[in-house]
Amino acid sequence: MSHREKIDIDYLARVEGETSIRVELARQSAIELKIFEPPRFFEGFLVGRNYDEVGDIVSRICGICPVSHMTTAIQAIEKAMGITVSQQTVILREIMVISQIVASHLVHLYMFAMPDYHSRSGFVEMLPDTPKAARRLLKMKEVMNELTGLIGGRALHPVTHLPGGFTHICPAANFSAMAKKLRNIRRDAAGVVEDIASLEFPDFHSDSEYVALDSQSHYAVNEGAIVSSRGLRISVDEYRGYFEESQVPYAFAKKSAIKGRPSFMVGALARANIKFSKLHDEAKALAGKAGVTFPCDNPFYNNLAQALEIVNGIERCIELIESNVFKDEDRHVRLHSGEGGSVTEAPRGLLYHWYRIDRQGVVEKADIVTPTSHNFLNIEKDLKKLVKENSDRKRAEIIALCEKLVRAYDPCFSCSVH
Amino acid sequence: MFNPRNPRFKNMKRMKPRIAVFKYSCCAGCEFQLIFFQKHLLETLKAVDVVYCKMLKSGGVEAGPFDVALIEGAITEEWQASQLKKIREASRYLIPIGSCAVCGGIPAIKNSTDELDVEKRVYADTAFLHSVTAAPIDHYVKVDGYVKGCPMGERDLDELVISLLLGKKPVFLEYCVCVECKLRGAICVLVAYGEPCMGPVTNAGCGALCPVNNRACYSCWGPMRDANAKALADQFLKMGLRKEDIFRKFTEFGQPTDEFKPGALT
Ligand code: SF4
Ligand code: SF4
Ligand code: SF4
Repeated sequence: MSHREKIDIDYLARVEGETSIRVELARQSAIELKIFEPPRFFEGFLVGRNYDEVGDIVSRICGICPVSHMTTAIQAIEKAMGITVSQQTVILREIMVISQIVASHLVHLYMFAMPDYHSRSGFVEMLPDTPKAARRLLKMKEVMNELTGLIGGRALHPVTHLPGGFTHICPAANFSAMAKKLRNIRRDAAGVVEDIASLEFPDFHSDSEYVALDSQSHYAVNEGAIVSSRGLRISVDEYRGYFEESQVPYAFAKKSAIKGRPSFMVGALARANIKFSKLHDEAKALAGKAGVTFPCDNPFYNNLAQALEIVNGIERCIELIESNVFKDEDRHVRLHSGEGGSVTEAPRGLLYHWYRIDRQGVVEKADIVTPTSHNFLNIEKDLKKLVKENSDRKRAEIIALCEKLVRAYDPCFSCSVH
Repeated sequence: MFNPRNPRFKNMKRMKPRIAVFKYSCCAGCEFQLIFFQKHLLETLKAVDVVYCKMLKSGGVEAGPFDVALIEGAITEEWQASQLKKIREASRYLIPIGSCAVCGGIPAIKNSTDELDVEKRVYADTAFLHSVTAAPIDHYVKVDGYVKGCPMGERDLDELVISLLLGKKPVFLEYCVCVECKLRGAICVLVAYGEPCMGPVTNAGCGALCPVNNRACYSCWGPMRDANAKALADQFLKMGLRKEDIFRKFTEFGQPTDEFKPGALT
């Protein structure tokens, strides 16, 4: 095969972690997402660790969604050990997870994805074109990080969150000050949707199954049933009966599939497709203004769905903070053997943790499946279709399109090789 | 090793400092901390030139020369070690950022179990793996200081950036978390509640975040130099902790370090 028929994108920039893309133009079947980020063996070395260390350890799977890993693991361990938590803990967990989803979406949209649409190599290079956007990003990100830190002690790798609940709750005055700050960035959030809606997304349609957590009452992040756009509806406990992983020689991440089906998509677009009706009215109105309807089958619109989730998340946090008074509580934990799993919505989609704990409270077995493993097959599937539909274009354009598509999925390769 | 007479370093003083960021095995949290150098991001970017940082931008000069190379993550594969040696040669200063790079951090937990056992628990086919014992950056090359913490601390990062711009030697904290804890007037969770706190052997920098939040320090800043790990481990024994528990305490961060070994082996 001649050099011209092959595209190798070595070490894709502006994503979380290390990957390359290989495309053989003559044979679209030969598209490979080569995740070369070294394997990190969390499931291996968690064995033998104490149940109350797990949250702190798995938090270090990912620097952009530490709260998601921590929360999912802690919920799984609580299930395994039969620990129950207070309603306050459930609410604080939801706020903390949402605050991190919003912060993660902001980083992804402005620093990773948007430079593609301005044909710039990065955020810094894009700054002269978009000084307003930069200020908006920094302002909002700071508030959201502060909110995570208010509950967690710090935004990155929180310290207050353990099985059974939180070690410390900050004074009520800090929460009301935070609610004010959140109200203050509402307009900016609407601005994010406008910023993103003004980008020219490539016209592309993917034939995908979408999977997300769904609950009756609200736009769920930490609980609910696993639901797909093609009729799957199972409980979290049934996960292993339906989802399986396979290993490939060119990547250290595993590929997840629903047994007997080709591939599926998780993340903001999947969530919006499954439960658009449960978004906050403000977010729905902005979607209408942007002229987009869900369900939507264009993966590039994942970026717009993220922007809508920013609005939704901020509204939900204001609601939860203003309708509750949080105070210090005791955590009730007793050692008990057992096994259990939990699924949450991380910024990038469905995240699964499962543990078996022995009588001494020590981990015997761990099982973790990340959003990027869930999306792996679907990204490759969409890349193939995209290359096929654009094969008459110039090489540089095809490369740019491929990069744009992978970034639209907002993959996290650090997570994927956990 | 660094040679100031190397012609590649000539004329570098007159330019903005050229900074490169390299990531090895880790969560990338320190890089995030860096990208969002909180309120200082925009002004810092005016004062320095980020010439290589994959998370921030496409392209970039991988070969150097660099005024400062910041290294995130532990070394867990051989190609990383050989690349690291090249970076060392191309850099005036090389500084590990965050516990993974400074002391092995979380990635080094795997060192306490047989490598193949760990691998087999994760991958059915282990033939394609090339992992080696996880090691901190100074295991392979000489370093010019450490920015500790997991994620790296803002205070030390501030100190590093300011020192770099002023051309002075950065001063990093060389005492334990207990000192900060007492300065903040926090209740000692070890003395008052019998919680196994790692504060006495852990390097300061976080402002005693855990004790302030009513919880024992779990040593995410890694070991303090000359820590008396044995004495703390003996105290834990007296408090009724099992040997396995003590082992876990001293291997969560800094598994390969000499400072924590006497504690882990108690
Ligand atoms: S030191 Fe901590 S925050 Fe930094 S990269 Fe390592 S695990 Fe992540
Ligand atoms: S609580 Fe921990 S850090 Fe604080 S003084 Fe006591 S032992 Fe030291
Ligand atoms: S108290 Fe210990 S574990 Fe907590 S943040 Fe500080 S160094 Fe890390």
